[in-house]
Amino acid sequence: MNDQHSAQPEPVNPGMDPSVWRGLTQRRVSRRQMLTSAGAGMGALGVSAFLAACGVKGATTANHTIKAGGVGSASWWAKQKLHHTVNFANWPYYIDVLKGKHPTLEHFTKLTGIQVNYSEPISDNLPFYAKIRPSLQAQQYTGYDIIVMTNNSPPLGYLIDYGWLTPLDQSAMVNFHKYASRLVANTSWDPGNKYTMAWQSGWTAIGYNSSVVKNPGNSVQILFDKRYAGRVGMMADPQELGSLGLLAIDVEPATSTESDWARAAKKLQLQKSDGIVRAYYDQDYINHLKNGDTVLSQAWSGDIFQADLNGKTSDLRLLIPHEGGMFWTDNMCIPMYSQNPRDAMTLMDYYYDPQVQAVVEYYNDYVCPVPNAKGVLLSPTGWAKTALHAMRPEIGLPTTTTANAPLVFPNQQYVNNSRNYYKYKSQEELTAWNNLFLPITQGA
Amino acid sequence: MTSAEGVAPQAGVTHRRPVRLGKVLAPYLLSLPAGLWLLALFLVPLAVMLSLSLQSCNFGTGACVMTWHWGEFGQQLSLYHAQFLNSIYFAGAATAIDLVVSFPIAYWIAFYGGSKKNFFLLMLLVPFFVSFVIRTIVWEFILSDQGIVLGTLKNAHLLPQNFHVLATGYAVVAGLAYNYLPFTALPLYVAIERIDKSVLEAAYDLYASKREAFTRVILPLTIPGLFAAFLLTFIPILGDYVNQQILGGTSNTMIGTVIQNAFLTNLDYAGGSALSAVLLAIALIGIFAYARILGSRTIEEYL
Repeated sequence: MNDQHSAQPEPVNPGMDPSVWRGLTQRRVSRRQMLTSAGAGMGALGVSAFLAACGVKGATTANHTIKAGGVGSASWWAKQKLHHTVNFANWPYYIDVLKGKHPTLEHFTKLTGIQVNYSEPISDNLPFYAKIRPSLQAQQYTGYDIIVMTNNSPPLGYLIDYGWLTPLDQSAMVNFHKYASRLVANTSWDPGNKYTMAWQSGWTAIGYNSSVVKNPGNSVQILFDKRYAGRVGMMADPQELGSLGLLAIDVEPATSTESDWARAAKKLQLQKSDGIVRAYYDQDYINHLKNGDTVLSQAWSGDIFQADLNGKTSDLRLLIPHEGGMFWTDNMCIPMYSQNPRDAMTLMDYYYDPQVQAVVEYYNDYVCPVPNAKGVLLSPTGWAKTALHAMRPEIGLPTTTTANAPLVFPNQQYVNNSRNYYKYKSQEELTAWNNLFLPITQGA
Repeated sequence: MTSAEGVAPQAGVTHRRPVRLGKVLAPYLLSLPAGLWLLALFLVPLAVMLSLSLQSCNFGTGACVMTWHWGEFGQQLSLYHAQFLNSIYFAGAATAIDLVVSFPIAYWIAFYGGSKKNFFLLMLLVPFFVSFVIRTIVWEFILSDQGIVLGTLKNAHLLPQNFHVLATGYAVVAGLAYNYLPFTALPLYVAIERIDKSVLEAAYDLYASKREAFTRVILPLTIPGLFAAFLLTFIPILGDYVNQQILGGTSNTMIGTVIQNAFLTNLDYAGGSALSAVLLAIALIGIFAYARILGSRTIEEYL
């Protein structure tokens, strides 16, 4: 081997032009040098200082009192005019539908001349909250004048605490003050309905396929029954899953303690390791219940009715166990920096008209916030009569069925059987809850 | 701009300096766009992520303050170490399947594709013109318990009623292997295509059998390509969060799903960042081990 060869790396491809080879090797050296110098630069900057500077800043404007003349005060509301447009963000399949249109929204536009841009971008509280939060922090319009947030999930509390909701115009809540049910007026999560008006309520209970599960009994323990191993669906949401675990060990979720949570988690862990749980689902649990992948599932009350309506079979039933059904309420609210607050107010109060609620409920089958809608469903008159009549062929059931359904207009027994969710007192509690129940849904 | 400024004061000193300086600076200037790209879109986000993993975040406001909370790593690992192992195990299995399946494909196209090589490569890629989420959901539909395949077989009493494919680890590995096949097949094809066909003839001239020619000539020449294909498939699968969510069940969660939920569903930025950092460390260890064994040159040639 001669000197020339040892000085240069041996080319892989003998056919390659030596100058190309030299160019390649030289460039490689330079790149390495550059990376080294870049690394030195980073070092000079001070890695720790750099890392510390990478924080995410979140400005908040926590205020609970309405300033005189400020957003939400009587004088502020007096200045708000109709803009004849309103952007309404709701959850999917949550409003009356007839041939691809929403009769109650069309009726509203006819009455008031306000155009409603109705969209369904909310499929989960936290992710939706994360989407609108940057706008709120930047004190900008979120793009929505009405959003619907659930009382059992942290974001509604965050929005109220950080002053990110527009206080409602109490003088414009005529229908609400006249017709709102006891279940949704002056609630524990929003005393005096300062920020919210309920859209619908419902139970998280047990849905089952009556053609397979002939004798469901009346206990939550059916979800832990080995006869249905591999065919039970549970919810992935830690709040829903944990609450059911607490019911299963006979603990009232609202007043539970951390040691109860640990026991509930153990019970749910066992349910999984026994192979009873098919999967932990989000919104799609209902599809798996419909197509037979599961025969028993944690379920939201209105979904079961709607699934029977739209499915090939109508074998799905809802069971509210004697341990209780978790009762939640979805709340309409006006985010801060809304551009059309007067229009939003008008629309929200419109939905407390019994005639309007009757039409919504005929399709929806969740818990109605307006008890008087029952009378409308029993003997409809005027506009509601026309609308309900037009929907009849698609729904396939008489309106009296909805009127007499205790799931829509709950009797005292159903009210007594409703349970409230645990309200986290601190972020540490929320983390503790999540660290117990998330590893179950995301099991390995 | 910078080169002109750097050159001007030197110009008065000697004649040859400016030329040399330009020559020295050229590679840096040429790599500047790529360097800035790397800095802005990789190193800065990476630093933010590493920083976030040590901060304490408010779930409500999203505000984070640096608290040097190293305990986050310990806690996340104690909660989710099994999900890391799942990811490594599934990624290994799916990559092995992909290598076995795509080697004959790549070999056949490279050696027997003839003038239709490009057509065959296109055929390999056509299914991937559709979003892989949609394709995976279609598999979920096809394989559902009472669906068109299993439902029919069950009605014909060829399968027991409680048989199911979905919600198992097998379904996840199959989905991963299916979705990442081109990531294995294409680098392998490049490696095999590069082989000089005359070396095969030489092997035959030296009385090698077909089998020997393959094991002693073709296979050794494709090993760097095999490793490149392995890396290109294994690393992305490690972070996959779609297949398991759609096809998997309760006991085969992959770490990608946990990270995705931490960021998007639970707004736990610190926890998600810590898990991402660990995942990144695992991937880097893999790459460095590979570079040690085969030399960094093979990475540059095939990736």
